[in-house]
Amino acid sequence: MISAEVLLAGGAMAVLAVALSYVLGWANRTFHVEVDPRVEAATQALPGANCGGCGYVGCAEYAEAVVVKGEQVTKCTVGGASVAAALARLMGVEVKESWPYRAVVHCGATSAQRLKQREYRGEQSCAAANMISGVQGCTYGCLGFGDCVTACRYGAIAVRDGLAVVDYERCTGCGACARACPRNIITMVPFKAERVLVVTCSNKDTGKDVTAVCTVGCIGCGVCARLNDLLQIDSGLARIDYDRYDPATADFAAVLSKCPRESLVWVGKPTPKDLAAVADKELPSRVEADFKTTVDQTEWRG
Amino acid sequence: MEYVSSLVLIAVSAAFINNFVLYYSVGICPYLGVSRRVDMAFGMGCAVTFVISIAACLSWALTVFVLRPGAPLATWVWHWLRPDSAGVVDLSILNYLVYIFVIASSVQFVEMYLRKFFPPLYKSFGIYLPLITTNCAILFACLEIMKHVSGVPAAQLWDLGRALALAAFGGVGFTIAIVLMAGMREDLDLCDVPQALRGPGIALIVAGILAMAFMGFTGVDRNLAALLR
Repeated sequence: MISAEVLLAGGAMAVLAVALSYVLGWANRTFHVEVDPRVEAATQALPGANCGGCGYVGCAEYAEAVVVKGEQVTKCTVGGASVAAALARLMGVEVKESWPYRAVVHCGATSAQRLKQREYRGEQSCAAANMISGVQGCTYGCLGFGDCVTACRYGAIAVRDGLAVVDYERCTGCGACARACPRNIITMVPFKAERVLVVTCSNKDTGKDVTAVCTVGCIGCGVCARLNDLLQIDSGLARIDYDRYDPATADFAAVLSKCPRESLVWVGKPTPKDLAAVADKELPSRVEADFKTTVDQTEWRG
Repeated sequence: MEYVSSLVLIAVSAAFINNFVLYYSVGICPYLGVSRRVDMAFGMGCAVTFVISIAACLSWALTVFVLRPGAPLATWVWHWLRPDSAGVVDLSILNYLVYIFVIASSVQFVEMYLRKFFPPLYKSFGIYLPLITTNCAILFACLEIMKHVSGVPAAQLWDLGRALALAAFGGVGFTIAIVLMAGMREDLDLCDVPQALRGPGIALIVAGILAMAFMGFTGVDRNLAALLR
């Protein structure tokens, strides 16, 4: 008796399963969409994390962009080089060597070197201070309140002597500091070597105006551009062309010796040679924040 | 006339008074998940309405003819198998299983359909389209219909029209709720929300206030019934 009822129930489910799968099978054939098989293969090759790190909504969308629009194959941050290689094989392209991007602060003036500073007692953040004119003479330079420090999740940026300094041992190139900086003086630069030359100034004003507000900023004299074609003067500011920058062949010794200001600086991880050069010098002491006395972000800001 | 007025009452009740999301708190997952932009929310509402209608029709038919106690099809098969046996055949233990089965299949069907005819909508839904399968608002509609179909006297048994009215207007109510929510969340993006409440916190508070606002519809049915009589 019981077995017969179970049989009936099971039979009902079986009939339903057959009927529905028939309908779905029919729908699958009728509503079939032609998809480039490479899109499916590319989707398979991607990690499937759907993290959005590439800038697309999910892995499937990025796969489609790669195949249909010819998007770069190196955008998957989760999969890294292996996924890029797989996608490149699929698309028949070659992966160019890609460089990690690192944050560079395009200001080299410590607070002593920035002139015409006035006392500022407002909210201690760059975003607030940036809205007020006359906090310091240079309207391009670092304000030193450390919005970038707050934004960095890796502790890779610190304010020293009123200037944001990146610790390249820790920087992962996420770009959070660049987005946080209200003056947009932090940019992401491709590090083609452990150390690259950067212009540590953002002031686009004429040389006279720059010297009035800063003792180290770029005056746009153009001596570097005459000595090395990688450098150009672009609206009163030296600019390095990182697309053509080749660390193996570039020779900046002449440029560095002729620059009248201190706007061209090597940044990045120190090489063993650099460390050996300063081995006999004493390390400057670092002051760590004391949470008992430091006013931090827990303060109510209505 | 009485039939039409009962249809109107069922529809108004499902869409406003006993709104699935705001009164019964079912279907919260897409309600909070896809209510960031009005156009996507509206698309989601339409998809849910479509799926809920298909699923309700199928589950109504299956419940009436196969699953309810003394269902004709099941009884016929039973007597064909065992001509000498008496008693009522009851397959209502299969209710949940069959409903889930039917809902999952209809979602698959809708997914294929959308992919063919509305690719942008298909793309904007992404993961949320398969998730309609687990949208409990749809199972809830099926179970509500089951209450009026399975194990009730033949005179009170709901026909397909009433079942469809409940399901389709339940879907409409879901669409109204999710679009209202999306409109408010779009405006919320521009508001100065306290740090601690940003994101899900304020969304849940808004959902709660919206649910309270919908409580204002309580009692509308009585006056409406008097009006229709």
